[in-house]
Amino acid sequence: MKQSDIRNFSIIAHIDHGKSTLADRLIETTGALTKREMAPQVLDSMDLERERGITIKAQAVRLDYQSQGHLYELNLIDTPGHVDFTYEVSRALQACEGALLVIDAAQGVEAQTLANLYLALEHDLTVIPVINKIDLPNADPDRVREELIEIGLDGTEAILVSAKQGIGIAEALDAIVERIAPPRGDSQGPLRALIFDSRFDSYKGVLVYIRVVDGALKVGDRVRFMANGAEFDVTEIGVFRPHPVAVSELQTGEVGFFAAAIKTVQDTRVGDTVTLAANPAKESLPGYRPAQPMVFSGLYPVDTNEYGRLREALEKLQLNDAALTFEPETSAALGFGFRAGFLGLLHLDVIQERLEREYNISLITTAPNVVYQVQLVNGEQIRVDNPALMPVAGDIVEIQEPVVTASIITPSDYIGAVMELAQERRGVYKDLSYIDSQRAMLTYQLPLAEIMYDFFDQLKSRTRGYASFDYQWSGYVPADLVRLDILINGEVVDAFSIIVHRDKAYHRGRALVEKLRDLIPRQLFEVPLQASIGGRVIARETVRAMRKDVLAKCYGGDISRKRKLLEKQKEGKKRMKSVGSVDIPQEAFMAILRVEDK
Amino acid sequence: MTDPAINHWGLYVHIPFCQSRCTYCDFNTVTGMGEQDHAVYMKALMREWERIEDVPSGPLVSIFFGGGTPSLVSPDHIGELLHVVLTSPLTVSSDLEVTMEANPGTVDKKRLEAYRNAGVNRLSLGVQALQDHHLKRLNRIHSAKDARDAVSAARAAGFSNISLDLIYGLSQQTMAEWHETLDAACQLEPDHISMYQLQIEEGTPLATQLKKGQVTLPLSDTTADMADYGRDFMERAGLERYEISNYARNGRWSRHNRLYWTMNPYLALGAGAHGYWHGRRWWNVRGVRRYIEASLAGESVEAGAEPLARPEEMREYVWLGLRECQGFSRSRFVRRFGVVPEALFGRTLGRLLQQGLIERDGDRIRLSARGFDVANYVFREFVEETASA
Ligand SMILES: Nc1nc2c(ncn2[C@@H]2O[C@H](COP(=O)(O)OP(=O)(O)OP(=O)(O)O)[C@@H](O)[C@H]2O)c(=O)[nH]1
Ligand code: SF4
Ligand SMILES: [Mg+2]
Repeated sequence: MKQSDIRNFSIIAHIDHGKSTLADRLIETTGALTKREMAPQVLDSMDLERERGITIKAQAVRLDYQSQGHLYELNLIDTPGHVDFTYEVSRALQACEGALLVIDAAQGVEAQTLANLYLALEHDLTVIPVINKIDLPNADPDRVREELIEIGLDGTEAILVSAKQGIGIAEALDAIVERIAPPRGDSQGPLRALIFDSRFDSYKGVLVYIRVVDGALKVGDRVRFMANGAEFDVTEIGVFRPHPVAVSELQTGEVGFFAAAIKTVQDTRVGDTVTLAANPAKESLPGYRPAQPMVFSGLYPVDTNEYGRLREALEKLQLNDAALTFEPETSAALGFGFRAGFLGLLHLDVIQERLEREYNISLITTAPNVVYQVQLVNGEQIRVDNPALMPVAGDIVEIQEPVVTASIITPSDYIGAVMELAQERRGVYKDLSYIDSQRAMLTYQLPLAEIMYDFFDQLKSRTRGYASFDYQWSGYVPADLVRLDILINGEVVDAFSIIVHRDKAYHRGRALVEKLRDLIPRQLFEVPLQASIGGRVIARETVRAMRKDVLAKCYGGDISRKRKLLEKQKEGKKRMKSVGSVDIPQEAFMAILRVEDK
Repeated sequence: MTDPAINHWGLYVHIPFCQSRCTYCDFNTVTGMGEQDHAVYMKALMREWERIEDVPSGPLVSIFFGGGTPSLVSPDHIGELLHVVLTSPLTVSSDLEVTMEANPGTVDKKRLEAYRNAGVNRLSLGVQALQDHHLKRLNRIHSAKDARDAVSAARAAGFSNISLDLIYGLSQQTMAEWHETLDAACQLEPDHISMYQLQIEEGTPLATQLKKGQVTLPLSDTTADMADYGRDFMERAGLERYEISNYARNGRWSRHNRLYWTMNPYLALGAGAHGYWHGRRWWNVRGVRRYIEASLAGESVEAGAEPLARPEEMREYVWLGLRECQGFSRSRFVRRFGVVPEALFGRTLGRLLQQGLIERDGDRIRLSARGFDVANYVFREFVEETASA
């Protein structure tokens, strides 16, 4: 394919504005899949994506598009909309020259619309606004056009589409061909290909997803990873249409994948540059800003023998998910596990589910927390990503916590409600501006820890679902924080320790022990539960002793059945963690976060 | 009380007929069958018995007609089956116990006399509760008065060994009502009482009612209070507790049920009936029609079996034995398995002793008072976790 006939673009948008559905139509219209092969959001291929109806992984597809007798090659990348996966979007954008910015015709510009637009502009991409869902009865494309002007786009250039009903698709395709520039890049130069993703395949080894920036790659070439110099012989090259199809080469500007019998997961790093061993490039491509994990959580196998399997699984997932980080750690309560870093709670949730489903490992996940910077009396500055490791108060000069700049777009009627919520969450007001006559954008500085869990739910419920929210890392600020410990049967259970603001500590401690009282099943003996700060108990509860645990009847016909019941119960017990002879169910370790914080 | 000799055995006969289904019941039973069906079924039972080639060599000490509602089957049929069994080539104990479960709504003095003449010498009456509104809610076919009448009729018919079944933890049952049930039941001077906590079995109408919120169960603390109250009440009324749920006067322990807890052999006749002998447990087809067809065609009616390897038998021996208040005999264990229980369970037994859940009394190891409350905790120590991950 001639370089000038290639167009590489991403589809970006606020969550649920219809990116994947638009991708469906493009795939269908260009004939990549037949009607029979189509399914709604066909690119959302993970079980998890299909169940939840959201995109988690960016997905690349090559389409052939015939326009006025001319054949174009379109490389489309569908991206996720959820704020946790912004990193995924920014990687996709780096492999493109243009982006379709989809805006829901009824909802208008939302927080992630803006965030994604800025990302695209940062990458110097041509942005094509697409107003989608114009079939909806409450669609208001004119208002959306005005909003577009407000955020610096040319509203008149927006394409009106109903991805669902297939309206405006031809216009969108023409705009892609006309407005987006073909890839630049030196087709005669030495190969430089950007790794934007990778995945482990048990037959072929690591599949490396690349965008060829300069030169070309053929089957049989010996490639070199520029970061560590490792070399491999390319055994297979392919493109997604959307199913993988083998090709003999990838030329300048093209997107695809290669396999090279790579068994060691560490050799491929997303953001690295691939070149040819025979004719290496001098300089690698700019690469990616490494993803910044925002929240950390302990991951422990329920069955302590599965520690090794858990490590392997995490390594494989990391291949496909550059934002995941992990380091070994040990807990007195839970044994050997990992402290893993995530982009947000949805990301954590997804990783946890993938570990359980794809790798069949039962996990205990501890309550997620942010990373603190701690200035010690002895002059040292340390980073604490596990609350249990927070030094005692006497050794600390100052604790700093991460804060974010949050943009909240809301109908003006709810500005008061949003401000109240931000206040409760220790927010610092920064700015208020108007997107149009009825909608405002509030900017706050908020502690990351305060928005981590139910902030979004609260925001939605206090604005009747109308507000949207996006945030960006903005640094560390000092805060009056304390470590809250939970004692079960008189022993501190490290996995339950959390860091909280002093003003909320008492309330949190109380709520926590109450929650645990309900979650920990009655044991043979009475179990005291305490919450304490620096050794001072601030709340206590008791799990009363089990009164009766008896099978009333057991006669001839029952014995096998009753025995099986006892066996099952025993198995259930085994899935709990025994801490100081108290059996604690898995959910308790995570549920500790789900206590109301009013 | 001494344990049954190791070679004593029993016979269980299942009668799967009821007039209507009680809401909590998940037994193998059918409604809507008539006299004719009963007759055919009894014939099928006889055919099954005839096909049994080998019976244990020790004495047969008990026959138990369970159900369903055995008292729906005519005394002639019961008599005929007993006759066939007892005239077969086997050793019959001189004080054979023959128990029949009876529903108070199905018997009068005349019928009871006839059962007695047929050879039944122990009656187990399903009383359950003594308030009509509870009986109705459970869809029992009898009233409280029927229950009282059935007991006097049984006495009049000459039964000197009568057992009553009672249930606590019923929907909306109060402590006062439970007291009333216990009091009224004891005034009938039964020889034996079985006292069960209501169990919610999957697939029963009660389970559905519960899901739909049509009934509500008492809190677990209330049920536990009822259990304690019932236990103490029985002791005061002179009924000695000899098993987790069973109480008896004058040593009238259920000879049949003891065979289960001491792991003696028992054979079984009838749809869905379970037998145990020679390190093997087996069960018959559950469907009444299928059972009848197979048995009359001279085919095997066995639907499944599980072999019990020796270590499994030892485990069961311990936890089943612990159901009895006197626990299990170490020397009997040694006689049966050739090793002391400590050889396998030394550490477990030690731990349970230390936790105060079991205690030793000479030759016997038994649950402590606290052990009875949390018996399942103790029993779980003697079962294997299911293999699945
Ligand atoms: N009425 C109408 N509904 C649409 C249209 N396009 C998409 N939808 C619906 O909007 C919902 C979200 O669509 P998706 O395509 O999954 O949205 P997305 O932007 O890919 O979502 P994420 O990947 O989770 O960010 C689905 O229920 C679609 O059926 C449209 O043109 N009209
Ligand atoms: S009488 Fe007994 S067997 Fe029959 S339905 Fe009621 S509980 Fe079940
Ligand atoms: Mg999507």
